[in-house]
Amino acid sequence: MSDNIAIKVVGVNKSFKLPHEKVSSIKSAVINFYKRKRTFEKQEVLKDISFEIKKGEFFGIVGRNGSGKSTLLKLLAGIYIPDSGQIHINGKLTPFIELGVGFSPELTGRENVFLNGALLGFSRREMDSKYEDIVKFAELERFMDQKLKNYSSGMQVRLAFSIAIRANTDILILDEVLAVGDASFQQKCYDYFNELKKQCKTVVLVTHDMSAISRFCDRALYIANGREEYIGSTREVSDMYLEANYNTPESGVERGVAVKPRPTIRRN
Amino acid sequence: MIRYISKENKALISELVRTDFKLRYQGSVLGYAWSLLRPLLLFVILYIVFVKFLKLGASIPHYPVYLLLGIVIWNFFLEMTTQSLGSIVGRGDLVRKIRIPRWIIIFSSSLSAVINLMLNMVVIIIFMILNHVDLLVTTLWLPVILLEVYLFALGLSLFLSAIFVKFRDVGYIWEVILQAGFYLTPILYPLTLISNVTFQKIILLNPMAQAIQDARWSSITHETLIPHTVFQGGWYMYIPFAIVIASLAGGLLYFRKESKYFAENI
Repeated sequence: MSDNIAIKVVGVNKSFKLPHEKVSSIKSAVINFYKRKRTFEKQEVLKDISFEIKKGEFFGIVGRNGSGKSTLLKLLAGIYIPDSGQIHINGKLTPFIELGVGFSPELTGRENVFLNGALLGFSRREMDSKYEDIVKFAELERFMDQKLKNYSSGMQVRLAFSIAIRANTDILILDEVLAVGDASFQQKCYDYFNELKKQCKTVVLVTHDMSAISRFCDRALYIANGREEYIGSTREVSDMYLEANYNTPESGVERGVAVKPRPTIRRN
Repeated sequence: MIRYISKENKALISELVRTDFKLRYQGSVLGYAWSLLRPLLLFVILYIVFVKFLKLGASIPHYPVYLLLGIVIWNFFLEMTTQSLGSIVGRGDLVRKIRIPRWIIIFSSSLSAVINLMLNMVVIIIFMILNHVDLLVTTLWLPVILLEVYLFALGLSLFLSAIFVKFRDVGYIWEVILQAGFYLTPILYPLTLISNVTFQKIILLNPMAQAIQDARWSSITHETLIPHTVFQGGWYMYIPFAIVIASLAGGLLYFRKESKYFAENI
């Protein structure tokens, strides 16, 4: 792999086995067990995906719900193993599939900062030197000795984000971080993205926010039904995404039209 | 090897053990004292019933300490395996969303069991002093025996935690096995109570029985049966050690094979 490539994906396939759990009684369970009749449905989530991401590139991945984006991210992060094909990663990769993974509600904010820091590979001493900045950035000075379960969800996200941006890494994988938080949080996210671009970090961003895609990404990948439909300019990709969303019957929800009749609520 | 003890992994292990400690007795008044109180209370009950009422172990000097040591070692084994068993599933959020080496989860939960064991050993030393147990030179063997128990439990923990991801039945099965193991291991009765030598031999094939008897012999009294005397030096006295090695190797291999698919199977 040449030196200026950060991520190289070659012919990756991934499928999941979904067991049919329709065992109604112990008797039938036993019979099925002896007949070896546990039925599986093989769901192919990703089919023959290949692409390259250059070092310092801001790369977007776009697709509708269930198109296989998150599976692809988890494969890149090494959380899943591909059925076939290869994934080469050049450098240190840190995934943020979700903000605040590993947060423990029973621990105080302070304790959670250190635990989360350790998950990013920071020792206690390194975290000591970052602690003040993290708390200040999250604007949670008064709350650090309270248990995390007493935090509002917005406070939790702020704390998690404040830790996450300290990650010292070459390649970042971000899954829908923009989907949470208010406008000021989004602004902080945008500032962070700009900062990443300035530092020439490689970033893989998954989002439904097409404005973020066109604003930050150099290139983007559009996936539909587990296949890569298009790789290239962000403009093409966001057009394809929007078209796919508004031209299919299930997409009524996005246009504000209820597809199913509302359930009637019975009041006693 | 360097890869495994990298700075990142060390930081992570120490933080996970710390979290484990903080969370374990969360909200209890006595807090960490419970990890000493639990085996001690169990000891008091067993002591009253089996030593005072049923007069077990009258032939063995320092029987209370002898009993306590057996309980503490068994409890260590029980705690480590049961905690590890659910640890991969319990830390499912980490497994599914972050790439951390999976073995770190088992290793850190095993370390908190080891720290507990160390605290309990302090209690045993206090009991030994109160009971005027003479310090034996063979006590030097005790750390080696405890290491054997640790490795045995580690192998089983790796295996159990990995298979628990696929079959949750394992949790209940293991509970029953532990219950049976507690009675099939000479913890609360002296081995001499079983008069049939063949049964004695069968019981001592279990690594836990062998380790507990050896630990008592090495640090409390030489007047107890150990595998070496029961087996009279036959080749099968090595079977318990073979079981330990097999459990460790099997556990490691199975865990390594399965750990790739933890994220999708949980």
